[in-house]
Amino acid sequence: MEPEEAKDAVVFKRSVQPLQWGAQVVLLASFGGMLGLMLFAGVDSLRALRQVQSRNVQIRQTFLLRNRALEEIRSALYQSGTFTRDYLLERDASRAETYRASLQKVRGEMDAALERYSRSLDAGEEAPFQALQARIADYWKLLDPIFRWDAGGKLARTDAFMHQELFPRRATTLEIADRIASVNEQELSNGDERLKDIFDRFRYRLGLMLAITLGVGALLALATTRHILRLARDADLRYRQVTLAQGKLKELSASLVEAQEQERRAISRELHDEVGQSLSALLMELGNLGAVAPGDADLRSHVESIRKLAESSVNVVRNMALLLRPSMLDDLGLVPALQWQAREISKRTGMAVTVDAETVADDLPEDLKTCIYRVVQEALHNCARHAFARSVRIQVVQESGRIRLTVLDDGQGFDSTHTRGLGLLGMEERVTHLGGRFHLQSQPGHGARLRIEIPLVARAVGAIA
Amino acid sequence: MNPVRILLADDHTVMRNGLRLLLERQPHLEVIGEAADGRQAVALSESANPDVVVMDIAMPNLNGIEATRQIVNRNPRTAIAILSMHSDESYVIRALKAGARAYLLKDSAEADLLAAVRALTEGKSFFSPAISKILVEDYMRQLESRGAEDTYELLTTREREILQLLAEGRTNKEVANMLNLSLYTVETHRTHILQKLNLHSVPELILYAVRKGIIA
Repeated sequence: MEPEEAKDAVVFKRSVQPLQWGAQVVLLASFGGMLGLMLFAGVDSLRALRQVQSRNVQIRQTFLLRNRALEEIRSALYQSGTFTRDYLLERDASRAETYRASLQKVRGEMDAALERYSRSLDAGEEAPFQALQARIADYWKLLDPIFRWDAGGKLARTDAFMHQELFPRRATTLEIADRIASVNEQELSNGDERLKDIFDRFRYRLGLMLAITLGVGALLALATTRHILRLARDADLRYRQVTLAQGKLKELSASLVEAQEQERRAISRELHDEVGQSLSALLMELGNLGAVAPGDADLRSHVESIRKLAESSVNVVRNMALLLRPSMLDDLGLVPALQWQAREISKRTGMAVTVDAETVADDLPEDLKTCIYRVVQEALHNCARHAFARSVRIQVVQESGRIRLTVLDDGQGFDSTHTRGLGLLGMEERVTHLGGRFHLQSQPGHGARLRIEIPLVARAVGAIA
Repeated sequence: MNPVRILLADDHTVMRNGLRLLLERQPHLEVIGEAADGRQAVALSESANPDVVVMDIAMPNLNGIEATRQIVNRNPRTAIAILSMHSDESYVIRALKAGARAYLLKDSAEADLLAAVRALTEGKSFFSPAISKILVEDYMRQLESRGAEDTYELLTTREREILQLLAEGRTNKEVANMLNLSLYTVETHRTHILQKLNLHSVPELILYAVRKGIIA
């Protein structure tokens, strides 16, 4: 017994801590921080992606714009060559004037393209662009004199002018345009490089963010899991403590009931067999005394008063013994004890009590007999004291393997789902301890019906548990 | 006339001494032995063959009711008077069923015992007035609370006559002789009486007679 008690003491000493403030703050901060990190990472990613996308579009648009401007410059150059030649070769003055106007228009277009290009100029392009502008200015300057030539002059100089002046000048100008185009292409690929840079930086940042989030999350999960496991263990411990305590209480209550019954039986027997018998013997001897000295009137009156005293004592002792535990229960069995109980309560309260128990054997097991007797006693007590019943019917039926008791009264009843006194609890405890079932049904104004059922064979199990 | 030979069975020595003193003051009564428990009582009855056994119920080894059953089984002529502390009718009916013919309360033994022995030697039953009183009162109360009819009214005059004789402890044959009837007629009457009163055995019939005050 001692080691078990020591173990229990340990179990009870390890009391369970409630969740502390510190832990709550840490949990809140950790979960909040993790969620914040995830939100930040998400917003940052969206922002970076949008940036990359807009940069990309911007770079492509700039490239296309400048490319188109260069193309226009190039085609204007070619067209200017053609219009110049047509102008020089045309004899008809009015038609020649049309070519000259076209040439002017081409020059205007080229100037517009140059102007457009100059607006989006990069650092690396300035030198070649200025060279291009200078060349183009030279080129137009070269063309200025030809409009002053007369028809003869045109005829004589055209061929030489075209091949020696105009075409070479146009070729070098185109070369510069090509150079600018390649710079422009270079610019495009540079833009791609920059985009890639931005993208890489973004990827790094996202990775870092994810790693931190994951790390914090893992830590948090670990801590939370440990805490929850500890709580579960504590709950389990508590549950076992409660079950253990409950079991012990039940055991204790059963052994108290048992001890009380033993005590009652012993006192009842002692009162009845020893005190009662002695008083009876005393009465007997008083009779003999009276017979020995018949003449003495004084003595006889003394003997008579002693006899009265002894007689009333015998009655008191007998009643006390029966109230403690009726001797019929041990001498004759359950049914005579129930019948006596029924007669007693009828005598005291005027309530009509019938006992119907024809199938019940005399040699029921001790604890079963006592249990049913005490339950009936309590039930009758309730009927008389609380329900003010006029008649009660007690029925005990023994079947194979079980015994059933029904107590039916016509009292004022009660709400059996709410009202449960200590007496009822005691009855139920007695019955369940023997592995039986307890059922009490009542409604205000409709009497009460108590039903119990106790197994006859499996009782040993109930007694151990 | 031969003295009545009596056996005392009680585990209390003082009680036995008192009883012996009481009985032996009568010239025609003789205490032939004392038993301190049921087993001894059975053995002494066997060997000494007493006319009357005065028997306590609460005794070690074998209780008085069981001892009564065994003694009566071996020798039905032995008349047994139960002398007990118990006044409840369940004890009375048990004792009667076991074969006892008188039931006395210990606290009135001094007053009743001689009358009981006399009744037994005459072949009659006997109950302490206190017992009769309790039985009658209980019966009246039961009748009252159940609102039941008194079944005694259902009996014919002849049946009442036979009921009294049977309740006094007479056998069917004795009743037949006394009333100048055939044995068969008496048995038929007895069956009718038991049926009308809703009883199942002669002990119950005796109890009924006591309750009704037909016999004392």
